[in-house]
Amino acid sequence: MQIEYQTQRLSLRFFMLMLVLFIIQVIDGMILAAQQVDPTLLVGVINFNVARAEHLNLGIMWIVCGFIAAILFVGPLLSRREMVSPWLIKLLFYAVIIIVVENFFTQFLAEWGIAGWWLGQPWFQQGLEYLEAGRIAGLLILVGFAIVCYVVLRTFPPVREWNEVQWGLGLGVTALMVVWVFGLFYVARLDLQEYFRWFVVHYWVEGVWEVIHISLVGMFLVLMFKADIKSVGFAVFWGIALVWLSGLIGNAHHYFWIGTPAFWQFWGSLFSALEPLPLVFCFWHIYLDAHTNKLPLENAPAFYFLLGSMVLELVGAGILGFIMTFALTNVWSHGTWVTAGHAHLALFGTFGMLGIAAAYYAIPIMRNTPHYDQRLGKLAFWLVFTGMLGIAFAFSIGGTVQIYVYRILGLDWFGGDVWPAMGVYKLLLPLFGIVIATGAGILAYDLFTLGRRVRIPAGSDLRDTAHADVATPRAATGWGRPLTGFEAGVWLMAMWVFGIVVTFGLLAFNLPRVRVGGDPTLPYLLAGVGYPGLLLVTLGFVWRFLASMEARGAVADDLPAMAMLPAQA
Amino acid sequence: MSCGVGGSSCETPRRRGALVMLVIMAAIFIVLSVFSFVKSRGQTTPDTITYGKYTADQGKRVFQAYNCMGCHTLVGNGAYLGPDLTGEYQRVGPAWLAAFLPSAAGWPTTAAVHVQLANPDQQADTGTDSMEAYLKKFPGAAVQIERRGGGTTYMPNLPFTRDEVGQLIAYFKYTAAMNTEGWPPKVEVVGLERRLQLAHGVAATVPAAASAAPAAAALEPAKVALDPTARGAQLVKDTGCLACHATDAKRVIGPGWGGLYNSQVKLADGSTVTADDAYLRESILKPNAKIVAGYPVSVMPSYETLLKDDEVNAIVTYLHTLEKQ
Repeated sequence: MQIEYQTQRLSLRFFMLMLVLFIIQVIDGMILAAQQVDPTLLVGVINFNVARAEHLNLGIMWIVCGFIAAILFVGPLLSRREMVSPWLIKLLFYAVIIIVVENFFTQFLAEWGIAGWWLGQPWFQQGLEYLEAGRIAGLLILVGFAIVCYVVLRTFPPVREWNEVQWGLGLGVTALMVVWVFGLFYVARLDLQEYFRWFVVHYWVEGVWEVIHISLVGMFLVLMFKADIKSVGFAVFWGIALVWLSGLIGNAHHYFWIGTPAFWQFWGSLFSALEPLPLVFCFWHIYLDAHTNKLPLENAPAFYFLLGSMVLELVGAGILGFIMTFALTNVWSHGTWVTAGHAHLALFGTFGMLGIAAAYYAIPIMRNTPHYDQRLGKLAFWLVFTGMLGIAFAFSIGGTVQIYVYRILGLDWFGGDVWPAMGVYKLLLPLFGIVIATGAGILAYDLFTLGRRVRIPAGSDLRDTAHADVATPRAATGWGRPLTGFEAGVWLMAMWVFGIVVTFGLLAFNLPRVRVGGDPTLPYLLAGVGYPGLLLVTLGFVWRFLASMEARGAVADDLPAMAMLPAQA
Repeated sequence: MSCGVGGSSCETPRRRGALVMLVIMAAIFIVLSVFSFVKSRGQTTPDTITYGKYTADQGKRVFQAYNCMGCHTLVGNGAYLGPDLTGEYQRVGPAWLAAFLPSAAGWPTTAAVHVQLANPDQQADTGTDSMEAYLKKFPGAAVQIERRGGGTTYMPNLPFTRDEVGQLIAYFKYTAAMNTEGWPPKVEVVGLERRLQLAHGVAATVPAAASAAPAAAALEPAKVALDPTARGAQLVKDTGCLACHATDAKRVIGPGWGGLYNSQVKLADGSTVTADDAYLRESILKPNAKIVAGYPVSVMPSYETLLKDDEVNAIVTYLHTLEKQ
């Protein structure tokens, strides 16, 4: 594939910036993981709360950079013309760098309690989870979103002619800007402040990012598999409709215990239980679209990360979100590590992996090296994927122990009672962190230097030799045979079965035997079966899916005619 | 007419239906939101809560400025490195908080909390100046002092000013007064010993930090009593002096002690005095009589009613031995 529109190349700089921020983000995560094990580490240099603020803000910024880059890459293709105002996009690039640098340094002021109060607003940093950025950065970010919104909407054709993907992206970039405004005010009441803070955090993730995500995934499936835009449009429409219809009131699951009335517990439990529906739907669609034809994967790493994004969206956002969305389970999971397991798998998995997938799709095209060595990309995928599953495991099980010691036994001495009990799981964080960091380093190196490294000798295609190597052993295990819809359904069912086990594990904390008797056997047992089961099934499913995709190459080599048969326009 | 191919949409009729549904959902959400914040709901608001001259709103700004939410949770939101602070005021009370916050790297002892009760703001807030009554009212403080007192924490010392400490207490007073619909859930496992045993899986023992010091003191009572320097060293630990003073020349909350004895001290009024025995005694008993240049007034409480004469002498003798380093 070739670049059709020159303004698509503007996405390259945002992909590069995304990778730089991602690497800093991973380093920050490593610092936090090490501080979980030894809280005295780097105290006074970069305190835990500062490192965490950086970790959350960079987490948002690198994902947004990935979105912007992906939108710039597909925008001209969708609109069949160049992006408008390229100078504005170049300005946006420098604005993003300035915002990130400004915010990176002002976060350190928290160590001296300097928020920069002026006109009643904190201008340097405001110490609110996810919204740590002060007003200076906040207002600049608003300007940045306005630029994105303007450029995208001006490039698109008139609204009457929009297809579903354009609707998704158009709504997404507009809502991205609108929702941010709710985080730009100082609110004195704690309950009201939390109420509006979740407007930004929940509606961003559930109402905006999810919408952009669904649209971009749909677009990349069209590009990768020549899937029918009509059927993808159908999926995008229902995906977005279900996300908004469940997620709008679903925000209520953040209003259980912040000082708002108890009726939210009913609405939140009801509607956010529906939130996984669109995710199951989208998950199913990537299966269908990937099986539009039986051609071998052209760009394996791009599809690996795209699949990872969809599967972790279902598992991390969908299932691990579902388990704690009921008032009776949330009362225990709230304010513990259990929520961190969900957040890591959902945010990095769903949105981060999409950005990386887009980079793997777009960069070889822009650097004009369609036949690049794909082994590094695949290796990096397996490292960050298993690493993040491991992190989710550590947080989830560690969180279950935390619930028991902190909430059931009421021991609130973290250094003396809670941490010793969580010790092993704390240690797992830096261990899996090293796995992720290795993968992140590899993929960043790969994408930075892709097309600039030593060229592959003409005539040899590493992609195909890699396929041939693995085809034989897989034939013995059957992991390479085509994945049927029935089998995919069984995998999906298995994930949900373990998800239900985990839900009962949290629910079991309500039993008098646990709550009054102090016997943790049942919740521990259910969590001990449920979390590893869920994460291993996830790993197994992705392995199986990708093995069947990889085997296509081998089949194509042996019987070139067969590959042509199911191909359709 | 074809849809989808030329870029036009196939889902237009369905989109209208979805939009209508969305508007209904939004209406429900808005109605629920309005009912959440009406006055008749009776939720505590920050403008009704003060501690001394400090308001809860000032405290909220301090809480945000230090990004406390980056390690702790409040109403369960934030980070999970340290405990939830929503009900902390109700559990341990203002005096414990006032003793803890200025030097958060150490757990306050009984004396350090007791000293705070000399503060009129504390008396007005807790309704008592007696330690027994205070610990009865805030049993969480008693457990905390018994189990952790004198030990070190994992929280870094933060440069809170005296005002900021008061403001934070006002804020915690507000969060503790909020109705959070029964969260965090009430602990129903009875008995601290039993809970500790369940958590640690062994017969409950009083933690080493708390038990070791009295045990050691009990073993060698004669020696401690005879040697005023050792007695002074023990007293500055037990009385909580070390929460604010370093044994070297470093500034913590108050001036460091290293090399202080017989040195020339510059005072806030511009004069200079020699830090002799009389000066040190006076600084312990009437801290506001002479303020060192660069330090605010009324930060240190008076120890007049808390220390006996021979105890003050022992501390002064101990101060003689500290070198500048």
